[in-house]
Amino acid sequence: MSDRPLTLPLALLLGLVTVVTLFPVFWILMTAIKPPTDWNAVPAIWVPSEPTLVNFQTLFDPEALGVYGVGGVSEAATQAVFGSLLASIVATALSVGIGLAAAIALSRYSGGGRATPLIILSGRMFPPAAIAVPFVIIFSTIGLIDTYFGLIAIYIAVTLPFSTWMLKSFVDEVPKEVEEAAMLDGLTRVRAHLTVTIPLIKGGLFATTLFIFILNWSEFLFALVLSYTTIETIPVRLAKYVTATAGTLYGVQAALAVLAMVPLVIAGFLIQNHLARGMTFGAVKR
Amino acid sequence: MTVHPMITSAALHMDGVSRRFGKTQALNAINLTVPTGSFVVLLGAAGAGKTTTMRIAAGLEDADEGAVLLSGIDVDGVQPKDRDIAMIFDNLALYPNKTGYDNLANPLKIRKMAQHAVDERVHAVSSTLRIGHVLKRLPKTMSGGERQRVALGRALVREPKLFLLDEPLSSLDAMLRVELRAELKRLQQEHGYSFLLATPDFNEALAVADTIVMLVEGEVRQVASPQEIYEAPVDRDVARFVGAPEINLLPASVVAGDDGRHLELLGASLPLPAGRLNFDGDFEAGIRPEHVQIDPSGAGALQASVVDIEPLGRLSALTLGIGQEQLRVTLAASQAEQMIPGSTVGVDIALDFLIAFERDTGRRLD
Repeated sequence: MSDRPLTLPLALLLGLVTVVTLFPVFWILMTAIKPPTDWNAVPAIWVPSEPTLVNFQTLFDPEALGVYGVGGVSEAATQAVFGSLLASIVATALSVGIGLAAAIALSRYSGGGRATPLIILSGRMFPPAAIAVPFVIIFSTIGLIDTYFGLIAIYIAVTLPFSTWMLKSFVDEVPKEVEEAAMLDGLTRVRAHLTVTIPLIKGGLFATTLFIFILNWSEFLFALVLSYTTIETIPVRLAKYVTATAGTLYGVQAALAVLAMVPLVIAGFLIQNHLARGMTFGAVKR
Repeated sequence: MTVHPMITSAALHMDGVSRRFGKTQALNAINLTVPTGSFVVLLGAAGAGKTTTMRIAAGLEDADEGAVLLSGIDVDGVQPKDRDIAMIFDNLALYPNKTGYDNLANPLKIRKMAQHAVDERVHAVSSTLRIGHVLKRLPKTMSGGERQRVALGRALVREPKLFLLDEPLSSLDAMLRVELRAELKRLQQEHGYSFLLATPDFNEALAVADTIVMLVEGEVRQVASPQEIYEAPVDRDVARFVGAPEINLLPASVVAGDDGRHLELLGASLPLPAGRLNFDGDFEAGIRPEHVQIDPSGAGALQASVVDIEPLGRLSALTLGIGQEQLRVTLAASQAEQMIPGSTVGVDIALDFLIAFERDTGRRLD
């Protein structure tokens, strides 16, 4: 952390960055409380004159927009919210758990040889679009299509390289001698990893978890091609808010997007103190 | 198999231990013994295999070949935690998220010692090491010397059978290093601990060691007292490693003539004292810088010109030119003040202290 004083030019720059960064968030929030007439009005309406919660209502009651004469909204978003929560939470927990074990194995035991981390990463070198269709075929054959089990499996496979690599970099930062000191103090290898290493990479573990959760939470392509009727996620539902009569339901989409932001904002807020680095300072002579 | 009683009672005995990392032979069939209650120093340059030796003794690394015996028991396959060894790592490896107290108490708590006993032990050790004031602080707020003492304390609280100290004083400033090494020696002697300390610093070894194990490129070259290592190094590598300024190595030969045996050195023919250098022919002469007398008036067996004078404090190092060769000499600073670069001085070499090496192999002759 630098102690640079806040000068006027610096303050202006920071202000500008803040405005540019937060403008889309502001627009989404405003759109979410606009009545249908305001959604794509020209000139643009910045702050709605008559704020309404009807867009949020529509998410759970498709008929709600009827009062504004907009009909044909087919389904509620309930299932999508449930689907996103289930797939993202389970896939994130497993991805981070497996990734942590892999990170320790790679960092401390060069598991599988020096090329292993790169081989793991190579899984990310295929564009998702290139592997999506083969997965549809494979999953149809083995009965995993349109199941949460299948979606979660894909999410884990896709995010595991990230979680492994991120966590490996944090484990690498903990000097292995600290673990070894613990072993000489009387711990087994496994207990040294669990009770010495993991507490020291707590910040990294939180950061990785949040990152993987965001990836899963906002994933669209696999969710789209692997779901028919049984499963749905928020990003897929977002794309479906289009009606024949009223076109794209911007307000409803914005309302769902705001809802989707909530868990991320809460999670980010809760762990912000742990995102700081420097946990291992003082362990070793430098 | 009969085992020598000295080995069964030794805190540590390594027998033919080898370790290879990829293409590098880190350790080549080393034998090493730390008798119980003695202070053994593993002396060697960076990369000589000191750390690997310690890690194998601690069980953090496996040997490819050979046996490790602790108090006479082969510990092959025994986990580090069950070896009853304490190690001070060269980077200390304190627990960064634990206070000084918890760093010290950790090994005792893991071993399920009662809280009041832990307290007692931690406070006893911290008063010995004078670190009472850092018990409540995290390592990041401690000074280098305090961290060093906490690391030492974490080893001492347990009273293990063997202490491994891997360059524990390397990052400290000179004064603190001298102070702490005296303290180490005192603790070791008072309690009869068994210490194996690794260092690249001969002076440190000299100050604390009962026995020095000289490690060169993964091989034990010599095991001897500090004095013996200095006066009778087994080969050229050992001779060069111990002592500063470095030993002079000069081509020489022994010639038997009508008027007795002579040493051909630096272009001069010096009569050999009776019984010295009982061989004929070429060899390499090792001459310690302090075994050369200088006469400013020019009287002496050899004539040399003063090339350079380097003050070392109480002593000064002179570089002399004799023909094509150079000779490094130490003498009292007061004497060195009278020397003028470029002037000619007389030189006498104390042949009784000359160490002869075989030219090709570097092994000590005689």
